[in-house]
Amino acid sequence: MLWVDKYRPKNLDKIMVHEEVAQNLKKLVTEQDCPHLLFYGPPGSGKKTLIMAVLRQMFGPSAEKVKLENKTWKIDAGSRTLDLELTTLSSTHHVELNPSDAGFQDRYIVQEIIKEMAKNRPIDTKGKKGFKVLVLNEVDKLSREAQHSLRRTMEKYSASCRLILCCNGSSKVTEAVRSRCLNLRINAPTNEQIIRVLEFIGKKESLQLPPGFTARIAAQSNRSLRRAILSFETCRVQQYPFTSDQVIPPMDWEQYISEIASDIMQEQSPKRLFLVRGKLYELLINCIPPVIILKRLLSELLKKLDAELKHEVCHWAAYYEHRMRLGQKAIFHIEAFVAKFMSIYKGFLIATFG
Amino acid sequence: MAQSDIRKWFMKQHDKGNGNASKPGKPTMERPSPATSLSEKKPVHESQESSGRRKTSKYFATDTENPRDEQEMETTPAKRKIQKNSEELHSALKTPAAKKLHKVDDNDDFISPDARKNSAKVTPIKKLKSESGRGIVQKPVDTDENDEDAVDDKDIEPPLKTGGRGGGGRGAATAPTGGRGRGGGRGGFMNFGERKEPPHKGEKEVPEGSPDCLAGLTFVISGTLDSLEREEAEDLIKRHGGRVTGSISKKTNYLLADEDIGGRKSSKAKELGTRFLTEDGLFDMIRSSKPAKATAQEELKKKAAIKPVVSPLKGSPQKEVKDKVGNSSARKVAPKVPVTGDSSTKQKDQCIAQCSLSWTDKYRPKTPNDIIGNQSIVKQLHDWLANWNINFSRSAQKGKGRKQNDSGSKKAVLLSGTPGIGKTTSAKLVGQMLGFQTIEVNASDNRGKADSKIFKGVNGSTANSIKELVSNEALSVKSNWSKHVKTVLIMDEVDGMSAGDRGGVADLIASIKISKIPIICICNDRYSQKLKSLVNHCLLLSFRKPTKQQMAKRFLQVANQEGLQVNEIALEELAERVNGDMRMALNQLQYMGLSMSVIKYDDIRQRLLSSMKDEDISPFTAVDKLFGFNAGKLRMDERIDLSMSDPDLVPLLIQENYINYRPSSASKDDNGVKRMNLLARAAESIGDGDIINVQIRRYRQWQLSQTGAVASCIIPSALLHGQREILGQGERNFNRFGGWLGKNSTMGKNLRLLEDVHVHFLASRESSSDRETLRVDYFNLLLKRLTDPLRILSKDEAVKKVVEFMDTYSLSQEDSETIMELSKFQGHPNPLEGIQPAVKAALTKAYKEGSSSRVVRAADLITLPGIKRVPKKRIAAILEPVEGSLAEETGDALAESEEENSSDAENMDDTINGEKKLQLDLQSSNSKGIQIQLDLKNDLKTPASKSKGSSKPTEKKGGRSSGTSAKRKR
Repeated sequence: MLWVDKYRPKNLDKIMVHEEVAQNLKKLVTEQDCPHLLFYGPPGSGKKTLIMAVLRQMFGPSAEKVKLENKTWKIDAGSRTLDLELTTLSSTHHVELNPSDAGFQDRYIVQEIIKEMAKNRPIDTKGKKGFKVLVLNEVDKLSREAQHSLRRTMEKYSASCRLILCCNGSSKVTEAVRSRCLNLRINAPTNEQIIRVLEFIGKKESLQLPPGFTARIAAQSNRSLRRAILSFETCRVQQYPFTSDQVIPPMDWEQYISEIASDIMQEQSPKRLFLVRGKLYELLINCIPPVIILKRLLSELLKKLDAELKHEVCHWAAYYEHRMRLGQKAIFHIEAFVAKFMSIYKGFLIATFG
Repeated sequence: MAQSDIRKWFMKQHDKGNGNASKPGKPTMERPSPATSLSEKKPVHESQESSGRRKTSKYFATDTENPRDEQEMETTPAKRKIQKNSEELHSALKTPAAKKLHKVDDNDDFISPDARKNSAKVTPIKKLKSESGRGIVQKPVDTDENDEDAVDDKDIEPPLKTGGRGGGGRGAATAPTGGRGRGGGRGGFMNFGERKEPPHKGEKEVPEGSPDCLAGLTFVISGTLDSLEREEAEDLIKRHGGRVTGSISKKTNYLLADEDIGGRKSSKAKELGTRFLTEDGLFDMIRSSKPAKATAQEELKKKAAIKPVVSPLKGSPQKEVKDKVGNSSARKVAPKVPVTGDSSTKQKDQCIAQCSLSWTDKYRPKTPNDIIGNQSIVKQLHDWLANWNINFSRSAQKGKGRKQNDSGSKKAVLLSGTPGIGKTTSAKLVGQMLGFQTIEVNASDNRGKADSKIFKGVNGSTANSIKELVSNEALSVKSNWSKHVKTVLIMDEVDGMSAGDRGGVADLIASIKISKIPIICICNDRYSQKLKSLVNHCLLLSFRKPTKQQMAKRFLQVANQEGLQVNEIALEELAERVNGDMRMALNQLQYMGLSMSVIKYDDIRQRLLSSMKDEDISPFTAVDKLFGFNAGKLRMDERIDLSMSDPDLVPLLIQENYINYRPSSASKDDNGVKRMNLLARAAESIGDGDIINVQIRRYRQWQLSQTGAVASCIIPSALLHGQREILGQGERNFNRFGGWLGKNSTMGKNLRLLEDVHVHFLASRESSSDRETLRVDYFNLLLKRLTDPLRILSKDEAVKKVVEFMDTYSLSQEDSETIMELSKFQGHPNPLEGIQPAVKAALTKAYKEGSSSRVVRAADLITLPGIKRVPKKRIAAILEPVEGSLAEETGDALAESEEENSSDAENMDDTINGEKKLQLDLQSSNSKGIQIQLDLKNDLKTPASKSKGSSKPTEKKGGRSSGTSAKRKR
């Protein structure tokens, strides 16, 4: 088993990074008046871990006995019937699902399926836990319509059902939904916290850690605990015992993106743009989400860019990222960003160096 | 009217450029006229000296002329001076023309009735006067001209002589003829004025000559011309009856080229001794035709008293034509009334009989030789039909059970080809010629499957009668049947057999098999899906489109018979425009014939521009046009048409290829910044197009489709149109097919695979991360864990370790393949590199061995009822034997069954397999010791879940890949 999963804290007490949040949550749950929760924060900060811990706190170990379901729902959408396929992870007390999987039909999931689930009050022999929990992932990817449908559901069935929403950025969740939830911002762990966790794992695994090694991993992890642990283990697989100058292998796709970035910086020409397009396709084909590509590409470019251009380039990156969400064919927008960057940078180079 | 226009135009030129030349103290009234006449005179001069001289030299030429004018001016009053000048001019114009052009013109020269000229002239001049101040000047020239002729001719050098007369004559004489010729020319001129000037272009006037002045000459255009664009030059030549070809041959008379002579065309021209002609030379040739025309018109004037309507273009042959025109026009006006005049009674009868017919029927070929083009095919058809009885009747006599004669020839023919090229006609003709009685059955008849009992008789449905006919049961009894009336069945439009004609094709095939008469099937598209089975039973003959020359020849015959005056070039243009459709061309011709008796190149051009036959334009052609060098001249509606020709594909092609174009709008772009800027703008606009497309598709805002076309196609192409260049080595310089479709479907596939991994991952209950996290964060390590041990450790140890790891996360081998596939990057080492094949094999083996100890596996080897195709071998979910309680176990079983459902559902599609198969599979999987039975029961109990599952593949595609498949479906 991977260390990430092996050392994932199972209950709120064991949580090492967001102890405070965990304690608060514990209080909240034990008082049995749990509101809707919205966890948001950057990837790898521990949202999922917290949610699972909260569920365990609520329902005990049975919350961990999940089954994987893949159901097709027939939905009557006006003139036609839709078949929606949805994968859910469910225990007797909670259902976890990812409504944004349905793409632009996600509102039917919210309108029909979630409502359906929320309606049914679980029959509990003990009769004490009067509600079930719906865990919705990637709420920020839900379309606007879906989010609007969600807010009614949240109010109407709040007696029988609690929602736990989980997403990366709260800005893409409508205010109406946010105001109905207890918002929990889960910060990315600091490097120190990451180091602490890594050393904890190292101790458990009885590894010999050269000084500064964990710090380097933490620094490269971009403050994502998950990534830190994963790359820690990658290092372990690659070479053990550790040496202090061991290379921490970068993510394959990150490396590829930084190659693209240096391609772009080297030469700004149609030919190069064409080459970059091919590489971007490669990334997309390998299922790297386009938003992540764009973000990563921007940060790689910013590393090499003159300070005076940074602002403008950031602006355009944001612009094209927005358009990418509006549109459907991500490559068009990433390519447009690259073209824009090339045109700006080329103009800049010629203006400065002639 | 037209005349005055031209005058103005000429004068404008002079006002602009030649102000100085005309200044020297002359009365204002006079000034324009010498100027205009000079401008006409000069090029002629040049053509005599050297046709290569550039137009710009004309002002020098005027200077040399001027002294003479002035001399005359001193002695004569202003009016006369002007006359003389113009006469000089005209005479100058005349001689070369007479030399170069048809001898017809010479004939015309012999008859020069001065008196008539005068009378004819008076009226138009008055008109002119009122129209423009300049026109007034011209008037005296015309009126007095004839008186002065003799004198002037003596005064001035011979070459200049006739031009003066001709020019004057022209101005006057054409006006009364109704200006038809002029109208065409003027249209051309107007067009020209509207066009953008090409870079080299000075203000040259495009001359206008008699429509036939270049007849019989063949030109090849090479390089850039001085002032005309290529199409314009081509147009000009065609308008004047010349022919333009693409490459030099012996037949080529002139190579039209200006500055940059060099390259293949010119070298070949030199080799063949083809004469070179500059643009100016061409202009001169055309211009010089005017006097010729004028003389022709003098002749006309004589006739004009009788028939003022017709403007003759040629000499004696035209008279005949004219007569015909007269006839035909008379016919047209009063078709049923017997025509008076010189036409024979026979003609009259014909006329009465045929006037009501459309030309397509009237001029339908009467013998196979009349058919235009495809003669070899007609011959084949003829042979086949002629030999049919020999080939088949004997064998037919053997009885019904005879075998299909496979000695080469088939029992039926399938003629295919585009509409209007004479398939039906040839079939009928050939049949007639061989003495067959043709029975035509086409789409207007019901051709459904015949009743099985043919005995119901002929009075049943058509289908029955066909059967009856074909099987010939009753008729063949008569012994002499085959000798007397032979029958051929023509099944027209067999590809139109559809909805109503249930089983039509099958029935037709059956008919062919038993047929005792030849059957000719006709279709447009031989590759149509419907005809797939039919094709095997038929001799295939595909008609090709006749060439434009062939068509034009036939049109000319028709036109002559109808008394229409059309030159061959115009007809070729017509043939080209209709894209090989004879029928349509004839209809067009007839329609045009209603309103005019002389049809010129321009008429056809203009007419068919608007009513051009709708052609299927491929996305590639559309993109070529949009990005083409001349794309800047396309009108907006043309661009929209192009981009809407396939609103899905064209934007993709544009997106794929826009980088490759070197924009002509950024021609002076040293460092490429401009181009980069344009690229960025185009890319953004393409992005706009994508966003709009989402609105259109998702929210059904179809009214945005034009906006979408503008954003995704027109703006990028407008920014970047120009020369295409290649970016990669060895690439062909053609537009690539849009890569997005392919990439997107690969991405969709990979996402599905990733989802499989994800599901298994979740099923292992070790992790609950989402799909993206799995890819972005986990894959690196997973890959390491899966491959590194294989490289480092010894074989057995490594295999054990890897299998163990895979079991932990219930990864199947397919999953590990997916992981490796998705971690491959171009230019990066393959993750499987350095692993011995033996180790891989051992891994596979170990995994398979291990599968017997897993609680659940290979569930998808079972074909479930309701699941159609036998799924590809796949492993649903692998759960470790659960250590814990009973409760957990049942929970697991549940989960398993669900998973089986899902993974099975993923790759089912096709036919329903029976229970038998299920049993079989069950047994086989039982033998492996799997807990499937329980799951199966589960499944069988809940058929609903299965049917739900069966919709998965489509849904998945639609939802996840969000790609074309889903989009197109909608």
